[in-house]
Amino acid sequence: MDKGLLAYLIIPLFAAVVIPFAARNRPRLADVLANVTLLAGLANLAWLALRPSMIAGGFADIPGDGFSLLLVAAIYLVALCVTFFSAWFIEEGLPNRQAYYSLILVSVAAMTGVVTTSDFFTLYVFVEVLAVTSFALITTDESAGGIEGALKYFFLTFPASALIIVGLSILMMTLGSLSYENLRIFMSSDIPSGPVTFAAALMLLGFVIKSGVVPFHAWTPDAYQGAYAPVSAHLAGIVTKISGVYAIVKIATLLRFFDGRATAVSEMLMFLGLLSIVVGALAALKQTSFKRMLAFSSISQVGYIVLAAGLGTPLAIMGAVFHLFNHATFKTVLFLNSASLEKAAGTTDMDKLGGMEHPMPWTSWTSVIALLSTAGVPPLSGFWSKLLIILALWESGLRTYAVVALLFSIVTLAYFMIMQRKVFFGRKSAAAESASEVSAPLLAPAVLMSAVIVAVGLLFPYFYTYVRVVAERIIL
Amino acid sequence: MNDYRLILFLLAALFSVWAVMARRLLTSAIMLALVSVTVSLIFFDYGAPWAGVFELSVCAGLITVLFVGAVSLIRAADEQNPENRSRFHALPLVLAAFAIASWYYLPAFFAELSAWARPGTGGGTIGLALWDMRRPDLLGQILMLAAGVFVIKSVFPRRNEK
Repeated sequence: MDKGLLAYLIIPLFAAVVIPFAARNRPRLADVLANVTLLAGLANLAWLALRPSMIAGGFADIPGDGFSLLLVAAIYLVALCVTFFSAWFIEEGLPNRQAYYSLILVSVAAMTGVVTTSDFFTLYVFVEVLAVTSFALITTDESAGGIEGALKYFFLTFPASALIIVGLSILMMTLGSLSYENLRIFMSSDIPSGPVTFAAALMLLGFVIKSGVVPFHAWTPDAYQGAYAPVSAHLAGIVTKISGVYAIVKIATLLRFFDGRATAVSEMLMFLGLLSIVVGALAALKQTSFKRMLAFSSISQVGYIVLAAGLGTPLAIMGAVFHLFNHATFKTVLFLNSASLEKAAGTTDMDKLGGMEHPMPWTSWTSVIALLSTAGVPPLSGFWSKLLIILALWESGLRTYAVVALLFSIVTLAYFMIMQRKVFFGRKSAAAESASEVSAPLLAPAVLMSAVIVAVGLLFPYFYTYVRVVAERIIL
Repeated sequence: MNDYRLILFLLAALFSVWAVMARRLLTSAIMLALVSVTVSLIFFDYGAPWAGVFELSVCAGLITVLFVGAVSLIRAADEQNPENRSRFHALPLVLAAFAIASWYYLPAFFAELSAWARPGTGGGTIGLALWDMRRPDLLGQILMLAAGVFVIKSVFPRRNEK
C-alpha cells in the first residue's frame, strides 16, 4: 500500500465517523465538515503535484507511481463537487443528511484504498466497501427508480464479485501471492503464464462487469437514471471508474499486454471496449431521458478506456489514464447539470424540455464545454486523450479499430448535439417558461469542472509530461 | 476426497439451497446458520482453526441472532404478504445440472491446476497474519464496518417515518 497517500484514506474515514456525532443537533454542520475535509485534501494534493519545483522538474519527484496520486486527486475533486452541490440540493427535511455525507466520505476512503493498494485481495475488500456504500447512496431519495437501480446494481455486480474471488483463489494457488509486484515479476519471466493468466482473466471479467462494459451494461442506465441526482454524478463520475475501470487498466499493465503476453485476453478486452463504444453511442442516440442518455454515453466512453487498456502499449496506457481523468471531469459536469435541470424544470425528459438556454444560460454553456470535451473537440481535454488512444491504435497497426473509434467520436458529437438542441436551444417549452437558473452555489461545481476541462486541454503539454511519467512508472 | 469432507460439502450445498427455497424467513435464517456451521467444520478440517472459529462465532452465532431477532419483529407483516416463490422452483434443476457438470470437469480442472501450484507466503500465527502480512485489509474491514453502520443509519430513519 502506498503509505504516502494513507492520510487521504484515514482522514475522510475519521470525518465520516465524526459527522453523525458533531452534526446531531445541527444538520448543516454535516455539509461544512464534509466539504472542508475534501477541500483540505484537494489543497494538499495540489501542493504535492502542482508546486512550481515539481512542474519544473518534469514531475520526476512525484510520490509512488503517480497514477494513484492522479486518481486520488480525481476522487477528491469529484467528491468535493458532489458534496458542495448536495449541500444546496438536499431538501432540509431529509432525515439522514449526516448518514448521506458519511457514506460519501466512506466511499472516498474506499476509493482511495482501491487506488493506493498493491495487493489484489485488499483491492477486492475496498471494491466491496464501495458496492455497499453505492447501494445505499443510490436509494437516498427512496424513489421507486432508485430502489430498482440499487437492486439491479447489487444483483448484477454480485456475480462480478464472485468471479473476482474465484480468480483470486486461482491466482493465490498458482502464483503463491496476491501482490501486484509478484504478478509483474512472473509475467516478465519466461515461465508459461497458463493458469495465472486465466486467474487474471476471471478477475478482469469481474471488473468488466463492474465497469458496465457491453454486454454487461444492463445495470448501468437504471442505476444512473434512478439514483438520487447528485449521487448519479458521484457514481458515473468516479465510483464505477474506480471500482472497475481502474482495476482493468492496472491488470492490463501487470499482464504486460505491450510485451505480447496474454494476447488472447488483450484481444478480448479490446473487442469488448470497441463493442462498448459502438453499442453505448448507438443506444445514446435513441434516448429521450437526459440522464439515461448520459448513462449510455458513459458506457461508450468507458469503452475507449477499456480499448486502450486492452492494447496496453505505453501510448495507449497514457491515453487510458488521461481519458479516465477526463471522463471524471466531463461526466460530473453533465450529471450535475442534469440534477440542476431536474431541480429547475422538474424533469429530465428531453421531449418536455426545450429552450432551457434562456432561463439557464450557465447550465447550458457548461454543458456545451463538457459535451464538446466528451466528443473530443479540440482544444478541450477530451480531444487529447482520444487522440492518444487513436494514435496508439494506428501505430500498432489496428487501423480498423482506430477508424471505428474515430467515427464513433463523431457519433458522440451527434447525440450530444441532439441533446443540446432538444434541451437547451430551440423553441421555448412550457418548462422553460416557468424555470429559472439554479443558485450560484449549485452552479459553482459545474463551472469549476468546466474550468478544469478547459485548463487541462490548454495546458496539455504539462499534463502530457505527467501522464508520460505515470505510464513509464506503471509499465516498466 | 475423504467421505467426511464430501459429506460436509454436500451438507453445505443442501443447506444453502434450503435457505433460498424456504417459505418462512425463520427457516432461511436457521439454514443459513447451518451453512456456516458446516463451512466452519470444513475450515477446521483443512487446518484453518482461526477461520473456523470466526465463521462459527460471527456467521453462525452473531449474525443468526440478529437475523432471528429481525425476523421475529417483522413476522406478522411477512405472513400477511407472502412472497411469490414460483420462480425459485427451477433452482434445484439448475443446481443439479451444475453439480453433474462439476462432477465431470472440476476434479480434472483442479488436478491440472495443482501441477501449477506454488507455495504461498503464509503460515504463522493469526497475529502475524493480521498485523504483519495483511494490515491494509484491516483498514478495509474497518471501512466495511463503518459503511454497514452508515447504511443502517441511512435506511432506518426513512422506514420509521413511514
